[in-house]
Amino acid sequence: MGAYRADDDYDYLFKVVLIGDSGVGKSNLLSRFSRNEFSLESKSTIGVEFATRSIHVEDKVVKAQIWDTAGQERYRAITSAYYRGAVGALLVYDVTRHVTFENVERWLKELRDHTDSNIVIMLVGNKADLRHLRAVSTEDAKAFAEKESTFFMETSALESMNVENAFTEVLTQIYRVVSKKALEAGDDPAALPKGQTINVGSKDDVSAVKKVGCCSS
Amino acid sequence: MASLDITKMWRDPGAPADSFYLVRPECQDVPKSKFRIKNGKTLSERKWRAAFSPEGYLDIGKTLGRIHRGGIHPSIRGEVWEFLLGCYDPKSSHAEREDIRKQRRTQYAILKEECRTMFPVIGSGRYITAPVITEDGDPILDPLVLQESKAAKEAKEATSVTGASDDYEMVKEDDKRVIEWKLSLHQIGLDVARTDRSLVFYEKQENLSKLWDILSVYAWFDKDVNYCQGMSDLCSPMIILLDDEADAFWCFERLMRRLRGNFRYTESSVGVESQLNNLASVTQVIDPKLHQHLDKLGGGDYLFAVRMLMVLFRREFSFCDSLYLWEMMWALEYDPDLFLTYEDPELAADKSEESKSKAKSRQVGKFERENMKNAGKAAEAPLPISVFLVASVLKDKSDKLLTEARGLDDVVKILNDVNGNLDAKKACTGAMKLHRKYLKKAANTHR
Repeated sequence: MGAYRADDDYDYLFKVVLIGDSGVGKSNLLSRFSRNEFSLESKSTIGVEFATRSIHVEDKVVKAQIWDTAGQERYRAITSAYYRGAVGALLVYDVTRHVTFENVERWLKELRDHTDSNIVIMLVGNKADLRHLRAVSTEDAKAFAEKESTFFMETSALESMNVENAFTEVLTQIYRVVSKKALEAGDDPAALPKGQTINVGSKDDVSAVKKVGCCSS
Repeated sequence: MASLDITKMWRDPGAPADSFYLVRPECQDVPKSKFRIKNGKTLSERKWRAAFSPEGYLDIGKTLGRIHRGGIHPSIRGEVWEFLLGCYDPKSSHAEREDIRKQRRTQYAILKEECRTMFPVIGSGRYITAPVITEDGDPILDPLVLQESKAAKEAKEATSVTGASDDYEMVKEDDKRVIEWKLSLHQIGLDVARTDRSLVFYEKQENLSKLWDILSVYAWFDKDVNYCQGMSDLCSPMIILLDDEADAFWCFERLMRRLRGNFRYTESSVGVESQLNNLASVTQVIDPKLHQHLDKLGGGDYLFAVRMLMVLFRREFSFCDSLYLWEMMWALEYDPDLFLTYEDPELAADKSEESKSKAKSRQVGKFERENMKNAGKAAEAPLPISVFLVASVLKDKSDKLLTEARGLDDVVKILNDVNGNLDAKKACTGAMKLHRKYLKKAANTHR
């Protein structure tokens, strides 16, 4: 059969979740990053959707499995499955709607309740292209991010501004956490046993999988 | 729409129906419809009218088969759906139905007025997308909301002689139910703004606000469900098919009777999860290998199927094809006592004693007949056809899923590829087959 898909050759698989209020642009951030697409007619997300993309971090191929979900609060009841095994999160708000920034605190709490403390979080202020409608200042968001020790970036999925940077930064940071963990455990990060699962957290699921080329040709 | 020559469409075998639901020219990436209006197969207006006696009694058996074979002609879709969804009893006269329609329109007007009094943007031809209230009941003075409220108030004052006394009041709300309702209004607005926007129909502001009004009134009417994302996808076709807002509301309300279980939620679960469990047990019986594989990949909860079940494949098909799929499903599931079940559940329960003879009746949809034949043998309540539809899509791609899916993202990718090429009719036939197989296997294990 050969390699059934070229992008199946990766060294690490990281699960990243997209969260934030309804209508802040989570799905468009995802489609911009995974397929370089943006839709003005985008629809609300029902349940969960996923997409993947592989990028290079240092000399390694990192495959991001990104989960997108509905923003409405009641869908959060399915969250345990959603957050399970996540090692990174993009917490998105809309810079033109202040209330979506106010709710960031709640999302953060939710994230911390359901995931491991080592999770890499980036606060993302989307729709930065709508300059005349801005309702959240960069300074306020930056100060908040500092206080909460999260990364921060403003993006525009429409203009393709900083989208690549935001995802790449999160994936790079996860990579650092993972390789540091491996070092602390006394392992050479490049020489883990085949297919060993690196648990960034204590969760029992496959979160960051280090894949050693047993079947890659 | 009405300007199309319908008689010409009949003579033309396989006429496309997309002209009934025009897509904005700038929207290129919309899936093409497979549905065709076929002479002798599609339920035509002539056949539909011929199924009524002079008094108005409907011999629905004649039409169910047609709908299953070729769907409903778009020109009569709305009125046929009213029967399929149980808005009306086929064994009623024109006059009786007219009475019910009038009563319902009045009832809707009262509900809507109740909502408008609580929040004056309702019925104003506008809608809001910013929150209007905090969870504690304090009003939020969002400029976007104030602007819409002010405009709504002015419009009201201009038409009312008495002068509106109903200011958008800036007082704290105490009633928990009112708070819950007001909390969902902006969510409805956010979703209305992105529902079927590729259709020309929704270029009109009045149609957007109609969708918002109906969903807002429904959220007040059904307090257990309120509003949940996905409902705008289910409601949108009703507004396009039925001109009268109240008629569209009640047709949507009947659809929700079937589906509201999926949208109910508690702290720890969303209703659709029980349907996902059903899907898991069906797959386990029909294709245990596949179930095992999905479970191994972390998909044993079938979360990837949430959307298909919640909005009945609306996202996987073109607008036109999803309507075709829906009417086939409802024709297969049709039970002539549907109206009675909704209006007078007790009486309907008494009548269900006769289900043995009903199982042979042509007035009953094929899928429902199978369930009736099986009644008593099975321990659980019958499952909806939608579960078998999803199961048949999975079964169809079983080989591919087993050999190629190494992660949940692969599962989703493979399913997305299928869905783009899915044939509504074949999917229904596949679902029926699986259903029979499932009933047989389930009966054997219960023995």
